Amino acid sequence: MPLPHRCEKVLRVREVVLSAKNLTKRFGKRVAVADVSFEVLAGEVFGFLGPNGAGKTTTIRMLVGLARPDAGSIHIRGLDLARDFQGAMSHVGCIVESPDLYKYLTGRENLLHFARMLPEEAAARIPEIAKRVSLEERLDDRVSTYSLGMRQRLGIAQALLGNPDLLILDEPANGLDPAGIREIRRLVRSLAEERGIGVFVSSHLLAEVELMCDRVAIIHRGRTLASGPVRELLDRPRGPHRFTVRPAGVAISVLGPFAESGTAEAEGEEDVAVNLSKERVPEAVRALGAAGVEVFGIERPASSLEEVFLEVTGGETV
Amino acid sequence: MRVLPLVENEMLKLWKRRRFRLVLLILVGLIGTIVFAQVQGREKFRSKKDWRIDTQERVARMRNWVRQGRMPDTQKNWMQFEISRLQYHLDRNIDPEAVSGPLFTRGFANAASYLLLHLLAIVFAADVVSSEFSQGTIKLLLTRPISRSRVLGSKLVALLLAIGLTVLIGGCVAYLFGGLAYGFRGWGVPILTGFRQTAGTFDASGVRAVPLWEDVIAVFGLAWFAAAAVGAIGFLASVLLRSTAASMGTMFAALILGTILPRLAPTWAFQKYLFPTNLPLPDYYSGSPPPISGMTLEFSVITLAVWALAAVALAFVVFTRRDVLA
Repeated sequence: MPLPHRCEKVLRVREVVLSAKNLTKRFGKRVAVADVSFEVLAGEVFGFLGPNGAGKTTTIRMLVGLARPDAGSIHIRGLDLARDFQGAMSHVGCIVESPDLYKYLTGRENLLHFARMLPEEAAARIPEIAKRVSLEERLDDRVSTYSLGMRQRLGIAQALLGNPDLLILDEPANGLDPAGIREIRRLVRSLAEERGIGVFVSSHLLAEVELMCDRVAIIHRGRTLASGPVRELLDRPRGPHRFTVRPAGVAISVLGPFAESGTAEAEGEEDVAVNLSKERVPEAVRALGAAGVEVFGIERPASSLEEVFLEVTGGETV
Repeated sequence: MRVLPLVENEMLKLWKRRRFRLVLLILVGLIGTIVFAQVQGREKFRSKKDWRIDTQERVARMRNWVRQGRMPDTQKNWMQFEISRLQYHLDRNIDPEAVSGPLFTRGFANAASYLLLHLLAIVFAADVVSSEFSQGTIKLLLTRPISRSRVLGSKLVALLLAIGLTVLIGGCVAYLFGGLAYGFRGWGVPILTGFRQTAGTFDASGVRAVPLWEDVIAVFGLAWFAAAAVGAIGFLASVLLRSTAASMGTMFAALILGTILPRLAPTWAFQKYLFPTNLPLPDYYSGSPPPISGMTLEFSVITLAVWALAAVALAFVVFTRRDVLA
């Protein structure tokens, strides 16, 4: 996946807008979130990746002050959320779990409602924000008539009212069609790149995080298993490469030495699967050519989230 | 951050959800029905008897019952008290039952403060916090740069405003309908007030005549106070239970208990400390005996105030501390 200009940006020193340290939350005996730490920088999209029930929403509830952590601290632009809730939250826009707004009010009434809870200039921003999320034409319709995608965008508009430095979005692609997902992704990227907002996005979809985020933390059973730039973490060798070749028997013996783990294995009549890194593929192709094997195709199935987990946990079952 | 815009938000939500409009419709429908029924009934009744004879007969009948004595003490006390009240009117040649628009308005406040106004207060209160939970909007409300107590405070103010408006509008509708049926005049008619029951006997020492409008204001003030107390306790239910249906059910049960308990268990003295028993404030004021002997208007006002303040305090403590996982 080519990600043109993101890498250079990470190199620049940027302000930390959100810092979570050693967050822990228990519900009775069950530990929902254990010792989770991460930082979100201004102008980046930070992915919080994990399967459903991993503790993502619980973590978000703590980030926005809806739930109190049992241990750990949260700082937003350096302000301690537990000590200065109002100061910290004045820099945050968020959607928790789902974009629940007042269905019996129109989009504009909803935005006005939340603008009244912010400093006075917020209401003046409504037209500009509505345009930004492409809702200006439906703004005076009741929210009950909105599609899920429109509600999601109205939710983001609401989050932008306070001109935040940190945007927290919980599963923003949930329930959206591919066009809607693309739209949200573009919006999130532009908010980070053009306005320098730090965006924290939770998701259970690997592909979504790969496309939208600069850095990612993987959470599983309430613990962060790994974190780092998306490419490093998710672009590591995943599943085996599958060579479609003829004859398969010769290919197996040629590819055998290339295998970095296990051996080359036949998968069907003309398919051979072998674990090897991307960099060694051309070499393998040359060797196959030299041995007179015809190569019809090479593919590497996209690894599932489970496979990434297997890898980062070193084989612990998901 | 000012509180006024937050109150504006809450009033907007009340109005847009049609709750308020529904309550207005209930008031209009209910009062209309009462007036209609009264007029129909009175038409047949009026020509037959002179009010003096009628009142004298009632007094005689009650005297008879009391003499026979097969009733609990509380009921006997009430009868004796009612006898003396009617006798007092008879002695001064005032028809205790004569109706005018203003009198109907006062009667409405009296009757409505048994149950109706409290039910309407609950309709508002049960919803005010729990609906935010059931809609999921509580997550947005509490992630603004505004303290939780301020958010809850604005809801409480809106609730008290809505209850006040309901009582006021109820009064206006009652006066309108009552006036259409019985005439709009009569605000200045002298009315006797200050009847009390002390130690089981009728005490007329504090009785004095005031213009009706003064009396009506007092009755409405007390009706509002009782409804506001119910609202405050319903507010707590809404915070604790986080479900509109559950808090409505709980509060209705409490109210109904308050109307049943004094009748079914009149000798259980402790119930005078329960809030539902203390609600019919305007009744005391206009001279009806208390549900449980030993209760006075002052006692009930204080008891209700303690309940309401404790409920509001507890609501704030719970609301500002509890994790929101809805």
